[in-house]
Amino acid sequence: MKRLWIIACLLILVAGATAEPAAEEDDLSALVLKLADEDAVVRAKAIQDLVLTGDHRLEHFFDQYRSGALYLWQGRPVLGGDIRMDDELDEYLPLLDVLSGEPLLSEAGQPLESLIDDVIEVEVGSPERKLARAAKFRVGLASTNPKTRLASVKRLGDPPRKSELLNDLLALHENDPVKKIRYTALESVSLIRMTDASLPPEEREAAARQLGDLDSARALAVLREMVRNKEIPEDRLPAYEAVMVQIEKYQGWVSLFDTIKRGLSSGSILILMALGLAVTFGMMGVINMAHGEMMMIGAYTTFCLQLVFGHTSSEANNWFFVFALPISFLVAAGIGGLIEFGIVRHLYKRPLESLLATFGISLVLIQLIRLVFGDNQASNSPTWLVGYVEVMQDMVLPYGRVFIFLLTVIVVLGIASLMKFTTLGLHMRATMQNRPMAQAMGVNTRMIDLFTFMLGSGIAGVAGCALTTIGGITPDMGQNYIIDSFLVVVAGGVGKLLGVICSGLGLGVISQTLEGYWLSPVWSKIVILMLLVAFIQFKPAGLFPPKGRLADD
Amino acid sequence: MTDRAARLVRHRVLLLVLALFGLVGIPGLYFAKVIDIETVNTLGRYLTYAMVAIGLDLIWGYAGILSLCQALFFAIGAYAMGMFMAHQYTSLDNPAIPQSLYLVYPFEIGETSADAVLPWFWVPFKSFPVALVLAICIPAAVAAIIGFFGFISRVRGVYFAILTQALTVGACLFFGDNDMCLCGTNGLSQFSTFLGVDLGSEKLKLVMYLVSLVSTIGVYLLCRFIVQSRFGRILVAIRDDENTLHFTGYKPHQYKLFVFALSAAIAGLAGALYIPQMQIITPSDMAAIESILIVVWVAVGGRGTLSGAILGALVVNLLYKNLTSPIEVFGLRMWKPDYWPILLGAVFVGVVMFLPRGLLSLPGRLKERKSKVPNPTPKPVEAK
Amino acid sequence: MGAPVEHYPQLAYVDHLPSGSRLWSQHYLLFLEGVTAVFDGFTALDISAIGVEHNELRVIIGPNGAGKTTFCDIVTGKTEPATGQVYFDGENITEVSEAEIFLRGIGRKFQTPTVFDSLTTYQNMELALPGNQKVWPNLFAKERPEERDRIFDILKRVKLDDDAHTEARFLSHGQRQWLAISVLILSRPKLLLVDEPAAGLTDAETELTAELLLELKKEHTLIVIEHDMDFVRHLDARVTVLNEGKMMAEGSMADVQKDEAVIEAYLGR
Repeated sequence: MKRLWIIACLLILVAGATAEPAAEEDDLSALVLKLADEDAVVRAKAIQDLVLTGDHRLEHFFDQYRSGALYLWQGRPVLGGDIRMDDELDEYLPLLDVLSGEPLLSEAGQPLESLIDDVIEVEVGSPERKLARAAKFRVGLASTNPKTRLASVKRLGDPPRKSELLNDLLALHENDPVKKIRYTALESVSLIRMTDASLPPEEREAAARQLGDLDSARALAVLREMVRNKEIPEDRLPAYEAVMVQIEKYQGWVSLFDTIKRGLSSGSILILMALGLAVTFGMMGVINMAHGEMMMIGAYTTFCLQLVFGHTSSEANNWFFVFALPISFLVAAGIGGLIEFGIVRHLYKRPLESLLATFGISLVLIQLIRLVFGDNQASNSPTWLVGYVEVMQDMVLPYGRVFIFLLTVIVVLGIASLMKFTTLGLHMRATMQNRPMAQAMGVNTRMIDLFTFMLGSGIAGVAGCALTTIGGITPDMGQNYIIDSFLVVVAGGVGKLLGVICSGLGLGVISQTLEGYWLSPVWSKIVILMLLVAFIQFKPAGLFPPKGRLADD
Repeated sequence: MTDRAARLVRHRVLLLVLALFGLVGIPGLYFAKVIDIETVNTLGRYLTYAMVAIGLDLIWGYAGILSLCQALFFAIGAYAMGMFMAHQYTSLDNPAIPQSLYLVYPFEIGETSADAVLPWFWVPFKSFPVALVLAICIPAAVAAIIGFFGFISRVRGVYFAILTQALTVGACLFFGDNDMCLCGTNGLSQFSTFLGVDLGSEKLKLVMYLVSLVSTIGVYLLCRFIVQSRFGRILVAIRDDENTLHFTGYKPHQYKLFVFALSAAIAGLAGALYIPQMQIITPSDMAAIESILIVVWVAVGGRGTLSGAILGALVVNLLYKNLTSPIEVFGLRMWKPDYWPILLGAVFVGVVMFLPRGLLSLPGRLKERKSKVPNPTPKPVEAK
Repeated sequence: MGAPVEHYPQLAYVDHLPSGSRLWSQHYLLFLEGVTAVFDGFTALDISAIGVEHNELRVIIGPNGAGKTTFCDIVTGKTEPATGQVYFDGENITEVSEAEIFLRGIGRKFQTPTVFDSLTTYQNMELALPGNQKVWPNLFAKERPEERDRIFDILKRVKLDDDAHTEARFLSHGQRQWLAISVLILSRPKLLLVDEPAAGLTDAETELTAELLLELKKEHTLIVIEHDMDFVRHLDARVTVLNEGKMMAEGSMADVQKDEAVIEAYLGR
């Protein structure tokens, strides 16, 4: 997560770079050149002056500088990239811009390189390294971008927890407009003080109390380590333990929140998957083993659209997703329709054999996709699904999960109202309950079958589209879900939408609870499977079984 | 009637000839160096598959129980025998532990190789007879438990299929978990000898082939005896209409329980014969798809005819063997192994759609078409 | 509509039988007391008391949804009643499984003829032979001549002996009905429940079925559930009328047909 933050910050830096006026560029270059000065005082002064410019791109620069990547090339400061060796064992250094970190381009537009012997490496002594570290954070703390500020504030509280920037942190705690930064600044300050062995014990304890009042999750890990390493004097141990209990209590709520969140989110994925299956299996009694592949097709459709729209992680073109949802639906529904028309239609009276035939179809589809697309594809979510909102301290809702949850709600409501309020839904229900009768009343049951199957497949396609936002795309991704979704449908009771929703959410929450508190993922899965098996034993017809005459037929 | 009897006789003669060819012809060809030992070994393995297929056909083809956990029973049998074989090849660092287990032993922090303990359930498998008995009895017991609960609460048809599939998935995870001391996802593969004979020796491979063949014939005869008895007719009655059978005073679950356990025992025996020939068994051998493949063999051969199950298992696997290597025609790459799953899938669909009674019904259908005698179309077997 | 009790002549027995269903149940072969069946809050059957005597032929009629099939389901153990007790031959069978109930002597022919399609006529009969329902003996069972003769006797009576080795799926609807009845006869039940034996049959077939039932009456107690009034008149038996799950009238066909409430229920308003 931390690394992601840093990357995010760097990206923002890079993106912002183009906006900087050119005049300052030269000033900065001149200051950077001073870092190569022979006089240590000049070098230190240069670092300070650089910080004073407040250019946030310097954060990246200082990191590079500390690691010794600053070179002089034709009397001009540059950063060096990864050294490349050619066939004659000559080593070349790719040249990068000091501030942006972008490759320098020759006049012909080619990336510039230099023989390693033609550049002079700028020596970095340990005083400079220390200064540069502080400078880097100062730049970060002074950044106008709240995310950069937050990341810097947070990192100062991580080891090695140097106390040199305490005053800057305290100032931020007082003045920063963003609440989260004010909170994190105080947290980092207290962390630094609590672990500072040079401070008197009372002050360290006070810092610990402060952390307790902040319910800081980060402090909990540090405190545990301190207790383990016996860094705390015996007589002060109870006070520290009280702090730990206080934090643990809050973090207990946080983990409950997380468990429910994960349960709902995995439950809603299950529901999304199982809904389509509930339509085909529940209403038509057809075991569609290729249902997972309909989902996979939805995912690959989304992937293709992403390529068509040219959406990449660095260059966002979010419009693709707006089209992806309906198009995934249509493509999956279309292929589902072909399957129904060509194969499934002839097997309605033989459910076990339709299981085999559709399994054959799933093999074919998986392999075809594998031949065309290869084994693994990374997908990029639309940027508005990246990120999260912090509901309360440490309680985080990622947008992607919220989106899937909402999508599930919409799809469920859509199907429910389709079934309840439209003539088509009426015909579907009639066909499901009494086929000959529906036929006699003039319902074209063949068309209804076709449509029902297409609807079920289409929903799977939408599920596949949604899944691209939380994971990679593989040809056999459907296989991971098919058994789970069958279990959801069976547990919920065949043909009952409400049952599917209850069992999907129930399964999601139960399995996440088991995983969150007691069991490893493998064991929680085994337990869930066994629970389901037992459930099927006692309620063979599901949560909401049909009764009376319908029961046996 | 007489026509049918004649066909039966012809059928029997054909089977007898085939069995003799397997017993005498294949070893003869091997000694004449027409086929190499690897072909014999492959055939031996495929015969163990055929046994599983017979077991499945007994419950699916006759009693109408679609079980999607036959591969699990097969793998349990293979694990049981594999554990016996693993005991023959202990770790150099700690002779108490089989090498297979040592490689993935879940050491606690601070434990050294000397601290590894042989788990209690590995102990019985040190003895060959015990391992063989357990290879057959454990699957049967598992099936009996599943069957006892499932059949009594009248879980049937598609639901039973899904229930067994869920169990398979659970078991696959269970066996793959390192802490279970069943060698995790690596499975059992560190073997040296089987009953004192080096696993690489051609003699062992030939003998194992013959043992597999004889067991297959034995299993076939046993199952044929069952389906031809009144018991077999009750199984068919269960497939046709289990509800009615209740009202004729039968308790169908007892019958189903019996055949289900029997088919599991057969699968376990097949697994025990498979592992000395294949020399590796992993949890992926019990994945959900493997069980479905067994169903496919039976469907391809022709469900409801025991010889069809054997035919299906052999045909599909021989196809698999020959079509997972590239084939060149006139120097052009005509066939890539990548195409195999597509072909397999197409075979499923084709068989289910156009040949619901399997390959075995093909000659009869061709003859019918020639003589153009309209055949009263039989009702689909599973009316429901 | 009058209270069902007024149409319930058996209540006369109360005079010479002490109260308590134990003795009632010993008088009747089949006795149901206070039986209700409820599905999803809908009461499908609500009978205060009904008894069928030994060697009686009883016909139960009633419009659609009257609870006739539910009645059969409860007697044969397919459905468990929500309340009430079922006595057969002096014993409480309310919670006995359907297979056990069959073994105690209640045979049932379903509305649609239930025969095993993939078995031959003869094999269908063979499965119903009494005393053959255990698992192990069936593995090693041999055909016995006297059983074979018995089967063919019955098959001859329903004119199925020529089709003894035809698979049941090739039989006509009427033949399947007779096969289903023959299977029941073979198992020698004390009580035979026959659900709509005349449904979907031609006139000639119906007549043969009626003859068959009358012949059966000599040896068995029969409960026939029927729609077809002409067919019921053929049988000349005591008739119980069910309507909306309740007993409405009981008596001879002629009596019942005069009953105002019955006419109303059948013709509607």
